[in-house]
Amino acid sequence: MKFLTLLLRNVGRNKIRTVLTALAVVVLVAIYTLASAVTDTINHLVGSHASQSRLMVLEKWVVPSQFPIRYVPKIADVDGVADWTVWHFYAGLLDDAGTRGAGIATRMENLREMHPGLEELDPRLIKAMQRERTGALVGQRILDQMNWQVGQRFRVMSFTHLNKDLEFKIVGTLPGDVWAHNFFFRDDYYQEACDDKDNVAIMWLQVADEQNGKRVAAEVEQMFANSPAKVRVETESAGVARFAGRTNTIVSIINFVVAVLLIDMVIVLANSINMTVRERRSEMAIFKILGFQPSFILAMVIGEAVLIGALGGIIGAGTTYGISLLNAADQLPVRMSFLLQFPIPAKFLLHGLVVGASVGLIGSAIPAAHAQRVGVAEAFSRVG
Amino acid sequence: MTDAIVHVESVYKEYLTGSEPVRVLHGVDLEMAAGDYVSLIGPSGSGKSTLLNLIAGLDRPTSGRIIIAGEAISEMDEASVARWRSAHIGFIFQFYHLIPVLTAYENVELPLLLFDMPAAKRRKQVNIALDLVNLDHRVKHRPGQLSGGEQQRVGIARALVTDPALIVADEPTGDLDGHTSEEILDLLQAVHETLGKTILLVTHDPRAASRAQRLVHMDSGVLVEGNAESLREAFPGWANGH
Repeated sequence: MKFLTLLLRNVGRNKIRTVLTALAVVVLVAIYTLASAVTDTINHLVGSHASQSRLMVLEKWVVPSQFPIRYVPKIADVDGVADWTVWHFYAGLLDDAGTRGAGIATRMENLREMHPGLEELDPRLIKAMQRERTGALVGQRILDQMNWQVGQRFRVMSFTHLNKDLEFKIVGTLPGDVWAHNFFFRDDYYQEACDDKDNVAIMWLQVADEQNGKRVAAEVEQMFANSPAKVRVETESAGVARFAGRTNTIVSIINFVVAVLLIDMVIVLANSINMTVRERRSEMAIFKILGFQPSFILAMVIGEAVLIGALGGIIGAGTTYGISLLNAADQLPVRMSFLLQFPIPAKFLLHGLVVGASVGLIGSAIPAAHAQRVGVAEAFSRVG
Repeated sequence: MTDAIVHVESVYKEYLTGSEPVRVLHGVDLEMAAGDYVSLIGPSGSGKSTLLNLIAGLDRPTSGRIIIAGEAISEMDEASVARWRSAHIGFIFQFYHLIPVLTAYENVELPLLLFDMPAAKRRKQVNIALDLVNLDHRVKHRPGQLSGGEQQRVGIARALVTDPALIVADEPTGDLDGHTSEEILDLLQAVHETLGKTILLVTHDPRAASRAQRLVHMDSGVLVEGNAESLREAFPGWANGH
């Protein structure tokens, strides 16, 4: 008879209570996992590959940014600009279920050089894109989500460009996960198909170093200071910081909800363990009378709570992870497009286990401290 | 130092009720030799359980000395006395207090887990103890699957398994019917006579009290040697043959 045997048997003792407590942890860890997936995805998108030597040129006041395309050659000619590209944003629905897709129309000749995260892109795909006017390089998540294959065509029902639903042919897959939620296509196709030949959304500049970047930024801003469409130039990392500032509010709200959930979990578990301790006071007194140290009783109570918490945690995270996988593979009766935007990585299984176990540990601390102080008189007859 | 198994010398015990100290034991002296079977009787609130707790090392006296099996337990710290208790005292309770999730075998084995003992030796001792109480056929049953009498037998086996110097029984028949009580008392008597165990029995049951070799009577915190007269005083109904 080992300690673990005793723990397992105690866990199975009041089955209804154990199941209900574990179920509460399952639900709360599932919500926690989803919330964490959202913040994880946002943080990942915000924090990746920010650089001081890449500058972004935007319209100074208009959101979303849009400035005249005639600025582009002038900016490209500024001393210190080593390379450049432009972006046009094009987004829409990828299917009737409402799955959203975000496309970026850009120059193909320096796609790899101007987009951190695409260094591993096969140069043959660039050539293939240059041959195929409607070609698209699609992020892996979109392919998985839509169950698309390279070579097939897809149509986007645009909500950024009304009556400009474009058709694309998948030429290849974007490597890595920086652009996993996006697809790239040719800017000339965009300009013609969307009849938008006069503007660009963003221009990206590659400069030699940070000092050079400051000078170039000042020069470009000055160049159009008296034009009707003024521009703002900032480093990529500054742009990211500004975006992060906005998303920080969302992330803070989610983090607050997660914190409340964790406290809630601790209270649920503490309440359950407290009831258990109250019911087993005389039993704990027996352990003490027989010669077991108070630390044994402490470990017994905490161990039981950690076991229930860890079990609930792994089931909660595992269920969410499983649903996420089935949803991505379109194996569920109803597809949840929300879940597709925030995929749940496998590492969250471990998070669920750790969160559940930690909640068990914290939630049982006070009941366990009371349990180890139980008086031995609890075991004796009430007379005399 | 004394050769007695139990040596209680001028023991006083006070509890605080609010800020008021309440004296429960008033200079108790008790001596039990090896192999003694002593019944401790007395009315409710007389201090019997307090004395039992002190002798078993579950509480400390306010003053006085308690020496059990040659060890001055009244001077030990809590951790030491817990270790000592596991090796030297066997407990039998009114409500058996078996661990419901453990089998009869595992309940009896429980006190041995505190010792650094090979599994084979542990198994042998558990089987001997269960054999002594005639429960070798119920080893895999949990307490909920046993009758009250059988549970108390498991309790007695658990008390015997460490071969303790002293067995302390707190109302061991208090939760049993008359017939089963007699069986348990027979068993305790056999433990005393065949194994030569020293037993201190606290009871309200005159039949149980009368089985002991010696009677001590506690009244208002004072312990006096008892006799048949004490029993008649303590249990007038029983004295009339009921």
